[in-house]
Amino acid sequence: MEDEKRGKAISRRGFLKGIGGGAIGTAVISTGLLNSSSAEAYAPESVGGTRSKATVTLKVNGKSYRVEVEHRDTLAEVLRDQLGLTGTKIGCDRGECGACTVIVNGRNLYSCSQLTVWMQGKDILTIEGLAKGDKLDPVQEAFIEHDGPQCGFCTSGQIMSGKALLLKNAKPTEAQARRALSGNLCRCGNYNREVAAVLAAASKAS
Amino acid sequence: MAQVQNEFSVVGRTIPRIDAYERVTGQAQYTGDIQLPGMLYARVLRSPHPHAKIVGIDTSKAEKLSGVKAVVHHGNAKIPWSSGGHTHPRFIFNNPVRFVGDAVAAVAATDRHIAEEALGLIEIKYEKLPYVLDANEALKPDAPKIAPEGNLSVGKGAFSAPIEESWGDLEQGFKEADRVFEDTYITKHTNNAQLEPRVSVAKWDAGKLTVYASTQGVSNARTDIAKDFVLPLSKVRVVSKYMGGGFGNKNQAQDYDYMAAVLAKVTNQPVKLEFTREDDYIGMHGRWASEQKYKIGVKKDGTITAVQLDAVTNVGAYRKQSGNLSGTDFYQIPNFRKVIKPVHTNTVVGANYRAPAYPQSVFGFASFLDQIAFELGINPLEMFQKNRIQKYKSKTPFTSNYLEECVIEGSKRIGWNEKWHKPGVMGGAKKHGIGMALGGYPFRPGLGAATIRVNPDGTAHLLVGVTDIGTGAKTTMAIIAAEALGIPLNQIQVTNGDTDVTPYSVGESGSRTTAFTGPAVIAAAEDVRKQIFNLAAAQLKVKAEELNLREGQVFVKADPSQNIPLERVVRNAGELIGRATTNPALKDVEGKSFAAHFAEVEVDTWTGQVRITRYVAAHDSGTILNRLPAESQIKGGVVQGIGMAFTEELITDRVTAIPINPNYRDAKVPTHLETPEVEVIFIEHPDPYGPFGGKVVGEPPITPAVATIANAIFNATGKRIKELPITPDKILLALQV
Repeated sequence: MEDEKRGKAISRRGFLKGIGGGAIGTAVISTGLLNSSSAEAYAPESVGGTRSKATVTLKVNGKSYRVEVEHRDTLAEVLRDQLGLTGTKIGCDRGECGACTVIVNGRNLYSCSQLTVWMQGKDILTIEGLAKGDKLDPVQEAFIEHDGPQCGFCTSGQIMSGKALLLKNAKPTEAQARRALSGNLCRCGNYNREVAAVLAAASKAS
Repeated sequence: MAQVQNEFSVVGRTIPRIDAYERVTGQAQYTGDIQLPGMLYARVLRSPHPHAKIVGIDTSKAEKLSGVKAVVHHGNAKIPWSSGGHTHPRFIFNNPVRFVGDAVAAVAATDRHIAEEALGLIEIKYEKLPYVLDANEALKPDAPKIAPEGNLSVGKGAFSAPIEESWGDLEQGFKEADRVFEDTYITKHTNNAQLEPRVSVAKWDAGKLTVYASTQGVSNARTDIAKDFVLPLSKVRVVSKYMGGGFGNKNQAQDYDYMAAVLAKVTNQPVKLEFTREDDYIGMHGRWASEQKYKIGVKKDGTITAVQLDAVTNVGAYRKQSGNLSGTDFYQIPNFRKVIKPVHTNTVVGANYRAPAYPQSVFGFASFLDQIAFELGINPLEMFQKNRIQKYKSKTPFTSNYLEECVIEGSKRIGWNEKWHKPGVMGGAKKHGIGMALGGYPFRPGLGAATIRVNPDGTAHLLVGVTDIGTGAKTTMAIIAAEALGIPLNQIQVTNGDTDVTPYSVGESGSRTTAFTGPAVIAAAEDVRKQIFNLAAAQLKVKAEELNLREGQVFVKADPSQNIPLERVVRNAGELIGRATTNPALKDVEGKSFAAHFAEVEVDTWTGQVRITRYVAAHDSGTILNRLPAESQIKGGVVQGIGMAFTEELITDRVTAIPINPNYRDAKVPTHLETPEVEVIFIEHPDPYGPFGGKVVGEPPITPAVATIANAIFNATGKRIKELPITPDKILLALQV
């Protein structure tokens, strides 16, 4: 019985292996948002039944949080449900849409596809941590000026992917910006605006 | 035209959304972000069979799972869902189930993983029934019956079918034609696929139900819930402050709101019911698929003399909306007849998605007109310009119609005359093509309400029922209020989307918000201005009628040097309240926004891949109240059209009846990579009936986009693809023939 339950829980997380296939045309989620290598970094010695728990110290937006999580809890779930950081959205919960994008150790990742227990000791930045006090990040400012959000549900993710790009490449070309954001879907179709905002933020910062 | 705009202080500028800060900082609270003390999580179990009778449900194992609080299904929660089916009674759980994805049960548990586990422990015995997936098959006499009277959804009232419309003399029209063409065009089911999955949070307090909904309309959601739960309106509160998109599939109240409410009732705890992305793709609805048979009569010069359209649309297992096709709306057709048959099948429901009856039928009709232009040796630009609509149904004038200017300005911008070439004549592996089509959407004002409270410091609160689904409606309402009231935009605070607090709103669907609620905001502003002028008249020792208010200053019209700041007028007034319920109507005129779209493509004849190299969208939406979000909406509508044109289709497996690609990756919605820069042109002439001259913006841009791209592909290849989506395999196959 216990095994059976665990089996179900694991299959729910089958996306870690199961994601594949091309997206539309030449679009492939290309930005390394699905970082499954961290799966190996976690030694699953404490795995018990489905509801086995672990205590993890998370460093989020510069603050440390000690949280008790189930092994199956994703980073997105814990950020939202336990830490109240609901700016990170869950759009598909299967590593396709990018609404849950956060920056971990300087790289943008889908937080729905990261187990929280893998996050011990890692540096996590969410949309709530971007502004310095009252001063918005240039990417956020540019998203306001360029009408980056329509419904706004994908916006946090778009901004985090834009921010991650600018951390690596302060002067991206338009093509680089599009590619960097290509793992973030926007069903309002506001892609022109989001790319323009990231480029504007880059030129402002320099 | 420019002079008119200069009269405005706030309208017609480029203004960032008033809630943009909340949206870029993660502070905007969407429905799924709401956490209530003691809240449970709920998940839905769906039918794996396309048509089956449920003969037994055993929930005992699920209920024994630690953390599970309640399991509801048709046996213990027979709640009608009125807006889920307009022609037959539909319940939140149905027996028999009628498509793969029909809801069977819902579980509330202490967390979402437990609720999900519990779904697997519910044991259901099904007795399989025969089923039918194809709309034409479903119309055959021996097809399995999904509705008692058969599979043609005959409906009633506004939903009567077949949908028939005609004017002129069809036979005469075909007689007058030099040539008559007949052909068939096919479109597929595509999902709205908004980023925010469906979610509802419900709680009961002493017999009063509060639903935090992800809805496009709090007022009609409240009406639906009150009706189906048999509660007075006063005992239902619906709240939707921030909403993550819907494009027509979050209108009103839906089954997930009801399931959350019933689980909250049973458990006596607040319940958050979340759809998974798969639930979202199959559990609600997408755009109805269609098969459109046209017969078109034309003169040698391309002038249309008659159009006959016979079509079937696949509305799936339940009839939620019209199933109509209206793509002929943008053409002057002297003699016309259409018969549209909405048909039931055992597939996912086909209902409203942005401009419900348009992009699929504009694809059919405008593709066919483009083809006829080719057959007659006429340039498509001339063909479309010649046949563009002048009068509604060939008789009623429009409130305003600048479609001609859209065609002229759009074709100029893209360089049509320099770039157009005969279809299929380009050499090389990568072929250039250029195409165009016409579109738009009805503009009909109606019932709206608004309240404006002016504070003692001269600032104001605007209360409107509208939800902001991404259009910037909240900002538009603030702009209208600032303009009409005469105070700066930053002095206005908007409270929206809460039926206990905000007045009635029609719901943000059908591009109605500005047309319905806009006039009410203006009237509420006028109401409170009168009160302000009455107070100021005494202070300035003039008559109230002599006063005006602009930029927060009350002044004498004839002598603006006699003035007084608003805050001095109202500082001892406690609070002034302006309110209005308005219901403007068009009489003997018809309203419509218009659009002409133009695209250039490059077709790789080796791979069948198509790249859009340039896209120009010219729109007549009257005065543009706020350029920034208006342009964004045009761009976004085009992007949705791109998905529909190239890739999107919810595929139902013929053998198992299971939708096999209910997710973003496999249903293939467009990404950053295939989105071109969409150049937007607004042909701005104020409409005499719209608030500050504005017509509608949200729905028009998707209507011509699919046909525009299809016509550009024809121009590149000389091959007509008559079935959506236009995938590389279809292009390669056509090129081989």
